[in-house]
Amino acid sequence: MKCSVVTPETTVVDAEVQFVVAPLYDGEYGIGENHSPAVGRLGAGELRLTLMDGTVEHWYVEGGFLEVLDNSVSLLTNRAARLETLDVGASRAALSRAQALASNSPELADVKESAVALARSQLRAAQKGARIKK
Amino acid sequence: MAKAKALDKRRKSIKNIRKITRTMELVSTAQFRRAMERAIAAKSYSQRLVQLVGDLARSGHNTSHPLLSSRESRGRAALFILTANRGMCGGYNAGILRAGLAQLEALRREYDEVELYVSGKRGLSFLRYRKIEVARAFTEFDHKPTYEEVLAVATDVLTRYQIGELDRVDVAYSEFISLSKQQATTTTLLPLTSLAQVDQDASRDEIEYEFLPSASSILEEVVPNAFKVQLFKCFLDAAVSEQIARMMAMKAATDNADQMISALTTTYNRARQSQITNEIIEVISGASALQ
Repeated sequence: MKCSVVTPETTVVDAEVQFVVAPLYDGEYGIGENHSPAVGRLGAGELRLTLMDGTVEHWYVEGGFLEVLDNSVSLLTNRAARLETLDVGASRAALSRAQALASNSPELADVKESAVALARSQLRAAQKGARIKK
Repeated sequence: MAKAKALDKRRKSIKNIRKITRTMELVSTAQFRRAMERAIAAKSYSQRLVQLVGDLARSGHNTSHPLLSSRESRGRAALFILTANRGMCGGYNAGILRAGLAQLEALRREYDEVELYVSGKRGLSFLRYRKIEVARAFTEFDHKPTYEEVLAVATDVLTRYQIGELDRVDVAYSEFISLSKQQATTTTLLPLTSLAQVDQDASRDEIEYEFLPSASSILEEVVPNAFKVQLFKCFLDAAVSEQIARMMAMKAATDNADQMISALTTTYNRARQSQITNEIIEVISGASALQ
């Protein structure tokens, strides 16, 4: 099964994989060999790729889409980085920045809510990345 | 002696200029390669997005979206003009500004107000000279515009479009068609009519997709993304075209300098020769006068 992760700037991953676990908007979604065609909306979170030799790669992806077709999984995402390269301190700072946003109108409250959710998922991914590094 | 010396001085200064133009040519060649790779990556991303919209359309779902249909109201339009920060690239900036100003005139006739978003020092100084007001100026997008930077601008424009402050967004930039062809053009980014046109083309077989959560929710996400990526692609195209234009201009300049150097060398040698002849004649005539 082929898997590719594409951001507007580069193609980040283009590899043969056994299994993919992708973070959809409402939870994780596992894709094995001969999966039925699907199109899904990605959330922010951890993407796990089990390569052909059994090693697992951890990536952080932020929003975008997933498309499964003919044993090939492609992810279009705004941002992709190795989980290990994320900075816990920076993510924590981003979270407190998001929490400090104003929320005195319904629109601003929506903006704040999604910013906080995004920062939380990023922090969670960064913390897991730090654990993997150890 | 004076003439030969002056010629030599001139030749030396042309040699220095040649060194500079040659270096600039090499620098832009290197930058062009990098910019090109990025443009290709963005192209594959936007192609897949367009494919996704096509798939959604073919699966029998309604693909109407507020960003895809044009509006009745003609309040305010925005026009991006993407020029370079530096000159030395032939007619690159002039071509874009010509296309941009023509579009500005056309928009002004149709809309009550037109805002100008200008990237690049060249375009900014030109518009300042013409006393045309610029709503927002960018100089940070050089040969390597990053997605994050463009995203901030795109999100801002998109929000203003959605809440009705803007009714149309156009871009004047240099489109990168191939290595030997770049063209200053203007396109409309909002409403995204180009994306709606793709819907009708049904070349691929119909596939039964499972949509998570639903086709309409995915479309809601795809369309704003498509706009952002298209704007990013405009910036990348502009960067690639600029480097190509500079490469060509600097190559021509280097070739011209070469020609001038060889012409000057010939004249210099002739001047030197005639000077020596003159001196010999003077010595001989001086000696014969003494006899």
